[in-house]
Amino acid sequence: MQAKDFWKKAYPVIILTAVVAISVTALTYTDRFTRGEIEAQMEAETEAMLSEMFPEMSRYEFANDIYTIYSDGERLGYAFIATGKGYGGNIDILVGLENKDTIKDITIISNEETPGLGTRITEPSFTNQFKGLNIGKVALREEGGEVDAITGSTISSAAVIDAVRKAAQEKVSLIEEGQDG
Amino acid sequence: MAKFGKEFAKGIIISNPVFVLALGLCPALAISNSIDNALGMTLAVLIVLLGANVIISLIRRFVPDITRIPIFIVIIATLVTVVNLIFHARFPDLYESLGIYLPLVVVNCIILGRAEAFASKNPIINSIADALGITTGFMTALLMISFLRQMLGTGSMEVFGIHFFDLPVLKDHPIVMFILPPGAFLIIGLLMALFRRTGVLK
Amino acid sequence: MSEFATIFIGMVLINNFILMRFLGLCPFFGVSKKLGSAISMGVAVTFVMTIASIVTWIIHHYILLPSDIAYMQIVIYILVIATLVQIIELFIKKTNANLYFAFGIYLPLITTNCAVLGITLVNASEGYSFSQSVVASLGAGLGFTLVLAIMSGIREKLELANTPKSMRGLPIAFIVATLLGLAFQGFGGMI
Repeated sequence: MQAKDFWKKAYPVIILTAVVAISVTALTYTDRFTRGEIEAQMEAETEAMLSEMFPEMSRYEFANDIYTIYSDGERLGYAFIATGKGYGGNIDILVGLENKDTIKDITIISNEETPGLGTRITEPSFTNQFKGLNIGKVALREEGGEVDAITGSTISSAAVIDAVRKAAQEKVSLIEEGQDG
Repeated sequence: MAKFGKEFAKGIIISNPVFVLALGLCPALAISNSIDNALGMTLAVLIVLLGANVIISLIRRFVPDITRIPIFIVIIATLVTVVNLIFHARFPDLYESLGIYLPLVVVNCIILGRAEAFASKNPIINSIADALGITTGFMTALLMISFLRQMLGTGSMEVFGIHFFDLPVLKDHPIVMFILPPGAFLIIGLLMALFRRTGVLK
Repeated sequence: MSEFATIFIGMVLINNFILMRFLGLCPFFGVSKKLGSAISMGVAVTFVMTIASIVTWIIHHYILLPSDIAYMQIVIYILVIATLVQIIELFIKKTNANLYFAFGIYLPLITTNCAVLGITLVNASEGYSFSQSVVASLGAGLGFTLVLAIMSGIREKLELANTPKSMRGLPIAFIVATLLGLAFQGFGGMI
């Protein structure tokens, strides 16, 4: 009687443990199977974004959240990600610098703005304004800068402008610190 | 064979998960803003529902009552994680646009509901039919909703990059509301009322 | 401080869990016919969401990430939530039997509520710190409760109105959700 009672109580636990064990094994195996591909993909994505902005790029280095772009031995510029607070959520922006004063270009990586209105920040007509722009001039025209907001999407536009300028100023001082020290 | 057909057909109209049972609404509405997303989500649901129904039907005689729900949850969560990882590796764009709604398939009432109500009490063949039927019903509902939302909200019929056609007026002046969340509620509410009115459902 | 306010307001209004993220729809359409039960449901869900956020955050940052087993996230999160709901259910049963009967089957159903798993996933994907996660889940829960309460008030009145037959029940509820959603869209750009 003892053995049968024990078995009756232990059985559910055994089954549950068995199922969990099989699940963990299946997941670990799947993870091993996909991990390489996922990591390779993320790297490929980053590289694609950077080389689109710096066509002559041959390699890049990443340290302290700043990408330094090289073409063979020559340094082409820098890049980093800026995040702005848009109308519907965060806006992630890839900012490229030609040197410590000038923006090379910007690419909007992700946003949650209103389709057809705020999402027009991704259009070249808006982002092209940043090409070759002096960091100090990254502001709305009404505020002394040289960037025009998109009509009907002032908040989205301003969010991008402010994020780019602040991040650029911050990163440039980090770069300068790195070079002095 | 007739039983298979019957179980399959049940899932499309009488027990349509979205329009009749009102299950699995969370993902249905969230990703119905484009046909690509709708098809992607259907694939995910198909794999998980079919897998769960088959496995649970296979082991149904060995599962003691008290451990029923935890075991079902573990099985479903494992299947969802596998789909999540594979989509991330093989279909990265789809993975990104489905976002958190892909892992949320694990709490999708459709799957746990079918496991509990059907697969745990029926043989494999019927469970497979059930899974296929329910998924077809789900896909039909999702395609209807996302087709309308995409047409009205963007004016262009584009599936996985293949461009089919543009609607003349809507392409230049799309009704943005339909791409936004409230649009989803509106479309599904009107569709439901339409189906009831025309006697297709209930 | 302003960051907490941003996260909080974002969760309650701008990215409301029910109207913008479509999370927590099952109780939204099922329970919300009486104001009282809507609010109790909302409070219960907020409570579970916050505790779940705390526990899953700790597991994520001290177990999953260091051991490099992030792929176990979904399985572990849902098991944690299921267990939490069981524990809370037992606790309520022991301490306040009336409350327990009032909730009925809706209490165990909180396990499959997209909102609970949803907030834990949002916390992880946004990379929130511990305190940010707590603020976020309180906000999400409050937003959920708010919309549930508004919806139940409207539905109470709708019961008395002469709704067309094919619209009764779910369809008209969806239309109301559309209007509420449109109203909440106006909160965009608030911060």
